[in-house]
Amino acid sequence: MKRRKTILTLLAVCLLIAGFVAGPRALADDDERGEGRERGERNERSGYKYTVPQLPAYSQECGSCHFLYLPGFLPARSWEALINGSDKHFGEDLALDAAAKTELLAFLTANAAEKSGFKWSAKILKRLGNETPTRITELAYIKKEHRKIKEPVFKRPSIKSRSNCGACHPHGSQGDFEEGAVVIPAK
Amino acid sequence: MIKYGAVMVLAVAAVFFAAGVLYAGVQPNKEMQALMDSYLAAAMKADPGFKGFSAEEGKAFFNAKRMHSANKEERGCTTCHTTNPANKGKTTVGKVIEPMAPSINKERFTDPAKVEKWFKRNCSWVLERECTPKEKGNYITYMLSI
Repeated sequence: MKRRKTILTLLAVCLLIAGFVAGPRALADDDERGEGRERGERNERSGYKYTVPQLPAYSQECGSCHFLYLPGFLPARSWEALINGSDKHFGEDLALDAAAKTELLAFLTANAAEKSGFKWSAKILKRLGNETPTRITELAYIKKEHRKIKEPVFKRPSIKSRSNCGACHPHGSQGDFEEGAVVIPAK
Repeated sequence: MIKYGAVMVLAVAAVFFAAGVLYAGVQPNKEMQALMDSYLAAAMKADPGFKGFSAEEGKAFFNAKRMHSANKEERGCTTCHTTNPANKGKTTVGKVIEPMAPSINKERFTDPAKVEKWFKRNCSWVLERECTPKEKGNYITYMLSI
Protein backbone atom coordinates (compact mmCIF):
# COMPACT_ATOMS: atom_id res chain seq x y z
CA MET A 1 0.00 0.00 0.00
CA LYS A 2 2.79 2.35 1.00
CA ARG A 3 4.76 1.37 -2.11
CA ARG A 4 1.78 2.05 -4.36
CA LYS A 5 1.42 5.52 -2.87
CA THR A 6 5.10 6.22 -3.52
CA ILE A 7 4.80 5.13 -7.17
CA LEU A 8 1.69 7.27 -7.63
CA THR A 9 3.46 10.29 -6.15
CA LEU A 10 6.47 9.74 -8.39
CA LEU A 11 4.20 9.45 -11.42
CA ALA A 12 2.46 12.68 -10.53
CA VAL A 13 5.80 14.50 -10.15
CA CYS A 14 7.00 13.15 -13.53
CA LEU A 15 3.78 14.30 -15.22
CA LEU A 16 4.14 17.73 -13.67
CA ILE A 17 7.71 18.10 -14.92
CA ALA A 18 6.76 16.84 -18.39
CA GLY A 19 3.93 19.33 -18.48
CA PHE A 20 6.22 22.21 -17.61
CA VAL A 21 8.78 21.26 -20.23
CA ALA A 22 6.51 20.27 -23.10
CA GLY A 23 3.51 22.51 -22.51
CA PRO A 24 4.86 25.87 -23.63
CA ARG A 25 6.64 24.28 -26.57
CA ALA A 26 3.52 22.53 -27.79
CA LEU A 27 1.70 25.85 -27.65
CA ALA A 28 4.55 27.73 -29.23
CA ASP A 29 4.61 25.41 -32.22
CA ASP A 30 1.10 26.42 -33.05
CA ASP A 31 1.48 29.55 -35.11
CA GLU A 32 -2.18 30.53 -35.05
CA ARG A 33 -3.14 29.76 -31.48
CA GLY A 34 -0.04 31.26 -29.93
CA GLU A 35 -0.61 34.84 -31.01
CA GLY A 36 -2.18 37.25 -28.59
CA ARG A 37 -1.10 35.16 -25.66
CA GLU A 38 0.91 37.12 -23.18
CA ARG A 39 3.83 35.71 -21.36
CA GLY A 40 5.55 37.82 -18.80
CA GLU A 41 8.40 35.75 -17.48
CA ARG A 42 9.88 33.55 -20.17
CA ASN A 43 12.70 34.91 -22.23
CA GLU A 44 14.10 31.91 -24.05
CA ARG A 45 15.52 31.62 -27.50
CA SER A 46 13.88 29.26 -29.94
CA GLY A 47 15.98 26.77 -31.86
CA TYR A 48 16.23 29.08 -34.89
CA LYS A 49 19.77 30.26 -35.59
CA TYR A 50 20.68 32.92 -38.10
CA THR A 51 23.85 34.93 -38.51
CA VAL A 52 22.67 38.52 -38.71
CA PRO A 53 24.66 40.62 -41.21
CA GLN A 54 26.43 43.44 -39.40
CA LEU A 55 27.66 46.89 -40.42
CA PRO A 56 28.70 49.51 -37.82
CA ALA A 57 27.33 52.38 -39.94
CA TYR A 58 23.98 50.60 -40.11
CA SER A 59 23.85 50.17 -36.33
CA GLN A 60 24.73 53.83 -35.75
CA GLU A 61 22.74 55.57 -38.46
CA CYS A 62 19.60 53.43 -38.24
CA GLY A 63 19.77 51.53 -34.98
CA SER A 64 20.20 54.67 -32.85
CA CYS A 65 16.60 55.63 -33.50
CA HIS A 66 14.70 52.40 -34.06
CA PHE A 67 14.89 48.63 -34.01
CA LEU A 68 17.72 47.50 -36.26
CA TYR A 69 15.57 45.83 -38.88
CA LEU A 70 17.33 42.92 -40.50
CA PRO A 71 18.13 43.67 -44.15
CA GLY A 72 16.19 40.50 -45.03
CA PHE A 73 12.93 42.18 -44.07
CA LEU A 74 12.73 44.07 -47.38
CA PRO A 75 13.59 43.47 -51.03
CA ALA A 76 16.55 45.37 -52.51
CA ARG A 77 14.25 47.81 -54.35
CA SER A 78 12.74 48.88 -51.04
CA TRP A 79 16.13 49.57 -49.48
CA GLU A 80 17.03 51.65 -52.52
CA ALA A 81 13.85 53.67 -52.10
CA LEU A 82 14.55 54.16 -48.38
CA ILE A 83 18.16 55.24 -48.75
CA ASN A 84 17.48 57.46 -51.76
CA GLY A 85 14.63 59.07 -49.85
CA SER A 86 16.55 59.35 -46.56
CA ASP A 87 16.09 63.14 -46.49
CA LYS A 88 12.37 62.46 -46.08
CA HIS A 89 12.45 59.35 -43.92
CA PHE A 90 8.85 59.26 -42.67
CA GLY A 91 9.05 63.02 -42.26
CA GLU A 92 12.61 63.14 -40.97
CA ASP A 93 15.89 64.15 -42.62
CA LEU A 94 18.45 61.53 -41.65
CA ALA A 95 21.36 63.79 -42.66
CA LEU A 96 23.23 60.96 -44.39
CA ASP A 97 26.21 62.06 -46.44
CA ALA A 98 26.95 60.51 -49.84
CA ALA A 99 29.55 58.09 -48.46
CA ALA A 100 27.17 56.81 -45.76
CA LYS A 101 24.39 56.33 -48.31
CA THR A 102 26.65 54.29 -50.59
CA GLU A 103 27.92 52.15 -47.74
CA LEU A 104 24.46 51.51 -46.31
CA LEU A 105 22.87 50.75 -49.66
CA ALA A 106 25.59 48.26 -50.64
CA PHE A 107 25.14 46.44 -47.34
CA LEU A 108 21.35 46.46 -47.39
CA THR A 109 20.95 45.30 -50.98
CA ALA A 110 23.60 42.59 -50.60
CA ASN A 111 21.61 41.14 -47.69
CA ALA A 112 18.09 42.00 -48.85
CA ALA A 113 15.18 39.57 -48.75
CA GLU A 114 15.98 38.05 -52.18
CA LYS A 115 19.32 36.72 -50.96
CA SER A 116 19.35 36.90 -47.18
CA GLY A 117 18.69 33.28 -46.24
CA PHE A 118 16.66 34.70 -43.35
CA LYS A 119 13.72 32.44 -42.52
CA TRP A 120 11.06 35.13 -42.85
CA SER A 121 12.34 36.74 -46.06
CA ALA A 122 10.62 34.27 -48.39
CA LYS A 123 7.32 34.62 -46.52
CA ILE A 124 7.50 38.41 -46.78
CA LEU A 125 8.42 38.31 -50.49
CA LYS A 126 5.63 35.85 -51.30
CA ARG A 127 2.98 38.35 -50.25
CA LEU A 128 4.55 41.36 -51.93
CA GLY A 129 3.76 41.33 -55.64
CA ASN A 130 5.25 44.31 -57.47
CA GLU A 131 5.02 46.75 -54.60
CA THR A 132 8.03 48.59 -53.22
CA PRO A 133 7.13 48.82 -49.54
CA THR A 134 9.11 51.05 -47.21
CA ARG A 135 7.22 50.57 -43.96
CA ILE A 136 8.16 47.18 -42.51
CA THR A 137 5.37 47.27 -39.94
CA GLU A 138 2.87 47.52 -42.82
CA LEU A 139 4.13 44.51 -44.77
CA ALA A 140 1.23 42.15 -45.52
CA TYR A 141 2.99 39.21 -43.92
CA ILE A 142 3.99 41.15 -40.78
CA LYS A 143 0.45 42.50 -40.42
CA LYS A 144 -1.01 39.02 -40.76
CA GLU A 145 1.32 37.68 -38.09
CA HIS A 146 0.33 40.45 -35.66
CA ARG A 147 -3.38 40.62 -36.47
CA LYS A 148 -4.40 39.21 -33.10
CA ILE A 149 -2.41 41.70 -31.07
CA LYS A 150 -4.75 44.51 -30.10
CA GLU A 151 -3.73 48.11 -30.73
CA PRO A 152 -3.54 49.14 -27.00
CA VAL A 153 -0.88 46.47 -26.50
CA PHE A 154 1.41 48.32 -28.95
CA LYS A 155 0.76 51.53 -27.02
CA ARG A 156 2.00 50.19 -23.69
CA PRO A 157 4.81 52.40 -22.31
CA SER A 158 7.48 49.73 -22.68
CA ILE A 159 6.43 49.01 -26.27
CA LYS A 160 5.32 52.43 -27.57
CA SER A 161 5.00 51.51 -31.24
CA ARG A 162 4.73 48.67 -33.74
CA SER A 163 8.27 49.37 -34.84
CA ASN A 164 9.73 48.55 -31.42
CA CYS A 165 10.14 44.90 -32.42
CA GLY A 166 12.64 44.18 -29.68
CA ALA A 167 10.09 44.96 -26.95
CA CYS A 168 8.28 41.68 -27.56
CA HIS A 169 10.91 39.83 -29.62
CA PRO A 170 13.82 40.01 -27.15
CA HIS A 171 15.95 37.91 -29.51
CA GLY A 172 14.75 39.62 -32.67
CA SER A 173 18.03 41.44 -33.12
CA GLN A 174 19.63 37.99 -33.45
CA GLY A 175 17.07 37.06 -36.07
CA ASP A 176 14.90 35.00 -33.75
CA PHE A 177 11.28 35.97 -34.38
CA GLU A 178 9.89 32.54 -33.53
CA GLU A 179 6.58 32.45 -31.74
CA GLY A 180 8.14 30.59 -28.84
CA ALA A 181 10.64 33.39 -28.19
CA VAL A 182 7.98 36.09 -27.90
CA VAL A 183 7.48 37.84 -24.56
CA ILE A 184 4.84 40.56 -24.48
CA PRO A 185 5.49 42.99 -21.61
CA ALA A 186 2.44 43.54 -19.41
CA LYS A 187 2.97 47.30 -19.11
CA MET B 1 60.73 76.73 9.22
CA ILE B 2 59.17 73.29 9.42
CA LYS B 3 55.93 74.84 10.51
CA TYR B 4 55.98 77.24 7.57
CA GLY B 5 56.55 74.34 5.15
CA ALA B 6 53.60 72.41 6.55
CA VAL B 7 51.35 75.44 6.21
CA MET B 8 52.43 75.85 2.57
CA VAL B 9 51.68 72.21 1.79
CA LEU B 10 48.27 72.57 3.41
CA ALA B 11 47.54 75.77 1.52
CA VAL B 12 48.44 74.23 -1.83
CA ALA B 13 46.30 71.20 -1.03
CA ALA B 14 43.40 73.48 -0.11
CA VAL B 15 43.69 75.38 -3.39
CA PHE B 16 43.64 72.13 -5.39
CA PHE B 17 40.67 70.89 -3.40
CA ALA B 18 38.71 74.09 -3.97
CA ALA B 19 39.52 74.02 -7.68
CA GLY B 20 38.32 70.44 -7.90
CA VAL B 21 35.04 71.30 -6.18
CA LEU B 22 34.44 74.40 -8.29
CA TYR B 23 35.34 72.69 -11.53
CA ALA B 24 32.92 69.77 -11.68
CA GLY B 25 32.47 69.62 -15.46
CA VAL B 26 34.08 67.52 -18.18
CA GLN B 27 36.96 68.87 -20.29
CA PRO B 28 36.57 68.49 -24.06
CA ASN B 29 39.29 66.53 -25.87
CA LYS B 30 41.56 68.22 -28.43
CA GLU B 31 39.28 67.51 -31.39
CA MET B 32 36.20 68.73 -29.57
CA GLN B 33 38.00 71.85 -28.40
CA ALA B 34 38.85 72.60 -32.04
CA LEU B 35 35.18 72.20 -32.96
CA MET B 36 34.16 74.51 -30.10
CA ASP B 37 36.74 77.05 -31.26
CA SER B 38 35.28 76.96 -34.76
CA TYR B 39 31.77 77.50 -33.32
CA LEU B 40 33.12 80.42 -31.29
CA ALA B 41 34.80 82.03 -34.31
CA ALA B 42 31.57 81.67 -36.34
CA ALA B 43 29.43 83.04 -33.49
CA MET B 44 31.73 86.06 -33.10
CA LYS B 45 31.64 86.68 -36.82
CA ALA B 46 27.83 86.66 -36.77
CA ASP B 47 27.72 88.89 -33.69
CA PRO B 48 30.85 90.97 -32.93
CA GLY B 49 29.56 91.60 -29.39
CA PHE B 50 29.35 87.87 -28.61
CA LYS B 51 30.95 87.18 -25.24
CA GLY B 52 31.25 83.39 -25.20
CA PHE B 53 29.14 80.28 -24.69
CA SER B 54 26.85 79.89 -21.72
CA ALA B 55 25.74 76.69 -20.02
CA GLU B 56 22.63 78.55 -18.85
CA GLU B 57 21.60 79.41 -22.39
CA GLY B 58 22.40 75.87 -23.47
CA LYS B 59 20.10 74.56 -20.75
CA ALA B 60 17.28 76.86 -21.84
CA PHE B 61 17.78 75.76 -25.45
CA PHE B 62 17.75 72.10 -24.40
CA ASN B 63 14.47 72.54 -22.52
CA ALA B 64 12.71 74.71 -25.13
CA LYS B 65 9.76 73.30 -27.10
CA ARG B 66 8.60 74.19 -30.55
CA MET B 67 5.53 73.36 -32.62
CA HIS B 68 6.51 71.43 -35.75
CA SER B 69 4.89 73.00 -38.80
CA ALA B 70 4.01 69.78 -40.62
CA ASN B 71 3.46 67.32 -37.76
CA LYS B 72 1.57 69.75 -35.51
CA GLU B 73 3.23 68.46 -32.39
CA GLU B 74 5.49 70.06 -29.80
CA ARG B 75 9.05 68.93 -30.14
CA GLY B 76 12.23 69.63 -28.26
CA CYS B 77 15.48 67.96 -27.21
CA THR B 78 13.64 66.74 -24.13
CA THR B 79 11.05 64.84 -26.20
CA CYS B 80 13.59 62.04 -26.52
CA HIS B 81 16.39 62.89 -24.06
CA THR B 82 14.13 63.74 -21.05
CA THR B 83 14.69 66.96 -19.08
CA ASN B 84 17.72 65.46 -17.33
CA PRO B 85 20.67 64.79 -19.68
CA ALA B 86 22.11 62.43 -17.07
CA ASN B 87 19.18 60.07 -17.63
CA LYS B 88 18.61 57.59 -20.41
CA GLY B 89 16.11 58.72 -23.01
CA LYS B 90 13.85 57.07 -25.53
CA THR B 91 13.16 57.78 -29.20
CA THR B 92 9.59 58.32 -30.37
CA VAL B 93 9.42 54.66 -31.36
CA GLY B 94 10.76 53.36 -28.08
CA LYS B 95 14.49 52.81 -28.66
CA VAL B 96 16.57 53.57 -25.58
CA ILE B 97 19.06 56.45 -25.90
CA GLU B 98 22.12 56.46 -23.65
CA PRO B 99 22.54 59.57 -21.45
CA MET B 100 23.74 62.75 -23.16
CA ALA B 101 25.83 64.03 -20.23
CA PRO B 102 29.51 63.17 -20.81
CA SER B 103 30.06 62.91 -17.05
CA ILE B 104 27.77 59.86 -17.15
CA ASN B 105 28.40 58.64 -20.69
CA LYS B 106 32.09 59.04 -21.57
CA GLU B 107 31.51 58.52 -25.30
CA ARG B 108 29.45 61.68 -25.66
CA PHE B 109 31.00 64.74 -27.31
CA THR B 110 34.29 63.09 -28.16
CA ASP B 111 33.95 62.79 -31.96
CA PRO B 112 33.29 66.05 -33.88
CA ALA B 113 31.98 64.25 -36.98
CA LYS B 114 29.43 62.37 -34.89
CA VAL B 115 28.43 65.53 -33.02
CA GLU B 116 27.92 67.47 -36.25
CA LYS B 117 26.00 64.58 -37.79
CA TRP B 118 23.53 64.37 -34.92
CA PHE B 119 23.11 68.14 -34.67
CA LYS B 120 22.15 68.07 -38.32
CA ARG B 121 19.61 65.27 -37.93
CA ASN B 122 18.09 66.40 -34.65
CA CYS B 123 18.08 70.18 -35.19
CA SER B 124 16.14 69.49 -38.36
CA TRP B 125 13.69 67.31 -36.39
CA VAL B 126 13.09 69.91 -33.70
CA LEU B 127 13.67 73.27 -35.40
CA GLU B 128 13.20 72.41 -39.10
CA ARG B 129 16.54 74.08 -39.76
CA GLU B 130 20.20 73.63 -38.87
CA CYS B 131 21.35 74.88 -35.48
CA THR B 132 23.56 77.97 -35.41
CA PRO B 133 27.17 77.75 -34.15
CA LYS B 134 26.07 79.73 -31.08
CA GLU B 135 23.30 77.25 -30.28
CA LYS B 136 25.64 74.30 -30.74
CA GLY B 137 28.34 75.88 -28.57
CA ASN B 138 25.87 76.70 -25.78
CA TYR B 139 24.41 73.19 -25.97
CA ILE B 140 27.80 71.49 -25.65
CA THR B 141 28.85 73.90 -22.89
CA TYR B 142 25.73 72.92 -20.95
CA MET B 143 26.35 69.20 -21.51
CA LEU B 144 29.98 69.47 -20.39
CA SER B 145 28.90 71.33 -17.24
CA ILE B 146 26.65 68.55 -15.95
